[in-house]
Amino acid sequence: SPTIFFATPTKLVSESNAPVEYMGANKVPDLQRIFQASEEIPVHLKRGVSDRLLYRTTMALTVGGALYCLVALYIAAQPKNK
Amino acid sequence: MAHQAHAYHMVDPSPWPLTGAIAALLMTSGLAIWFHFHSTVLMTLGLILLLLTMYQWWRDIIREGTFQGHHTPPVQKGLRYGMILFITSEVFFFLGFFWAFYHSSLAPTPELGGCWPPTGITPLDPFEVPLLNTAVLLASGVTVTWAHHSIMEGERKQAIQSLTLTILLGLYFTALQATEYYEAPFTIADGVYGSTFFVATGFHGLHVIIGSTFLAVCLLRQVQYHFTSEHHFGFEAAAWYWHFVDVVWLFLYVSIYWWGS
Repeated sequence: SPTIFFATPTKLVSESNAPVEYMGANKVPDLQRIFQASEEIPVHLKRGVSDRLLYRTTMALTVGGALYCLVALYIAAQPKNK
Repeated sequence: MAHQAHAYHMVDPSPWPLTGAIAALLMTSGLAIWFHFHSTVLMTLGLILLLLTMYQWWRDIIREGTFQGHHTPPVQKGLRYGMILFITSEVFFFLGFFWAFYHSSLAPTPELGGCWPPTGITPLDPFEVPLLNTAVLLASGVTVTWAHHSIMEGERKQAIQSLTLTILLGLYFTALQATEYYEAPFTIADGVYGSTFFVATGFHGLHVIIGSTFLAVCLLRQVQYHFTSEHHFGFEAAAWYWHFVDVVWLFLYVSIYWWGS
């Protein structure tokens, strides 16, 4: 009759071949693949939609802010009427 | 496809220098508008733009170095020179405030009572919280060195733990200093004593916050496997900056807190 197991022997971490994960797995090789893809996209837009969204928001604030600033300074430069 | 025949980094066109310059314009003009017209809109807009610029610019540098491999040894050498020169400029910045302190304290005017600390000023006891602060920053210098050795030896868990400890010590310093500011029996408006004390220690505190933030970014990067045992310049730059902050405190402690009391 087959041997009856009541428990498998304790498996030691040192015996397993998989690397022990501490605080997440290494995603750097995947990111290296994404960023080294040969399309001529500049690095600040290379991740696609999220990069574009953040860039456009920043640029909108830059242009809008610069215009607002010039208007504010123009108004500030007006002489005070007594 | 053209390949470069040199080891240097020709960066992609980037919008961040422009957005950063506009942020500076908005913050400075915004300050003037706030002072004269009581509106903080422009200044706030400038601050938001500054944060967006810093986030995206430094994110791009990490992409260029860690993910695209552009930080070859000559490039890294340039980055090292850059960080050293920047820290040197900050040393001169603090030197100015130390000059102001010694100018006023070595020859106290009759208006101050001819003595230092001036008449009416009760200075903080240098052997209470300021001494604890000194111990905290010195300890953080040890933990950041421990973190560096852990990274160089490939000890992932230890690097994360020691770096976290360093940041916690930095935050503890900031919290202690904040309570000291709240409890101090004198204010920035209390003559030249108040001015030199709060401007010098205040700028130092700002640099502690900046340094802690830099280390926190390094912690995030260490957790995400960005640093290798051979190449971790971002961390080294943060550690240099942190040691600089520690040294400035030692000078502040000896000059203003101890000799000046």
